[in-house]
Amino acid sequence: MSAVPQRREVLRVPPTRKAEIVADLYRAIREEGRTLVELEWEQQRLHESRRWSAVERVDAVELEGVSASDRLVVWNAGRAELTTKPGADRLARLADQECRRWQGRNDAVASIIQACGTWSRYWNEEEAHHETSFNRLALLLGLERISDETFIEFRKIFPDDDMLRTLTLLSISEIVAAVNYAHCARITQEPGLKALFKQVGADEIQHMNYFIAFAKGLVDSGEYRAKEAFAVAHLFLREGGEVQGSRREHVEQRETHVNWWDQLEYREGMNAPDAAEKKETLIFHALKRITGITVSSAEELEDTWMELVG
Amino acid sequence: MPSADELKDYIQKKFSEHLGLSQEEIFGADLTLAALITRSERMANSVDLMEAFARTSNALRREHGLRVRLPALALDTRISKVLEVFLQEVQRQREERAA
Repeated sequence: MSAVPQRREVLRVPPTRKAEIVADLYRAIREEGRTLVELEWEQQRLHESRRWSAVERVDAVELEGVSASDRLVVWNAGRAELTTKPGADRLARLADQECRRWQGRNDAVASIIQACGTWSRYWNEEEAHHETSFNRLALLLGLERISDETFIEFRKIFPDDDMLRTLTLLSISEIVAAVNYAHCARITQEPGLKALFKQVGADEIQHMNYFIAFAKGLVDSGEYRAKEAFAVAHLFLREGGEVQGSRREHVEQRETHVNWWDQLEYREGMNAPDAAEKKETLIFHALKRITGITVSSAEELEDTWMELVG
Repeated sequence: MPSADELKDYIQKKFSEHLGLSQEEIFGADLTLAALITRSERMANSVDLMEAFARTSNALRREHGLRVRLPALALDTRISKVLEVFLQEVQRQREERAA
């Protein structure tokens, strides 16, 4: 083993501040000279500070107190969460491939994308808590079993796309999930389940913030065009768009992958989350943070996207 | 103002340009949107297709002052149906102007 070069002095570490998401990544890398090792440490600190136990959360739920409506919500949530692992696996692969494409051409962009790929491991692990908690609860509650066939079907990996589109889509997916979980937390009367919904919703908000930060970094670099973020937002908010999920008149039957929002089953007696306006507002806010462009209605979003398309 | 037939030709030409496929290939077989994505080397998914239609709509607005907004269309929709949606909207706006 070769000798490790030694510094003359040890690093003087500033007093520990709260872990946070680096929101202005392009500037942090280009102007502040922050490295991937430093960014990774921030990710690790935040991840550790937010850890919770799925086993303890599930144990805290009083099964007899879970209403019929809540049971349907838990069953849907468990199935939907199955699609996050293939999402995270794909992100790790796509990010590494895209990072190498930028190396030597724009190293700051390569670093932003590598930071995203590195973070995907935390995202994957955190989402595992969601998936296993809800599916375990569904099992304990004696709900309809998820077959191995469905499990494997929901693990299909989404086809690759432009990196900015991918990150925007993931931001919006987290927004829709977070709003749904917030609704569920308000509705349920069972304290343990309420705590679980709140915890999962808070995780989804944190994930949304990460995706927005990575997407903003790409737009700030000037290498990715804002139109891609707007295209995805329009795909969700247009008439008959994705944000309406399985309530749409027509849901595509895809061979390639499963979009969780298309698979929610609204059954009789289920107090189903909707809150379309809240989702719309959060999507506009995300677009503003990613691109710096403000829109406040679906029509304005479409007009802006069409202008950007040219 | 160009005639309805001239506008139809114009829209078909723009579809062809933005999809990167010949008019014969697109309209001859009356391809579905899914088939267009598969055939065109420029298209990877429905977002690309949405953008191709937006470019056609932008060209119509710039050159003829007509504004077409497309609803979400299923991937098994045939291109003739998309063309029909464009033409209906164009016709409606022409009538509004004439009134």
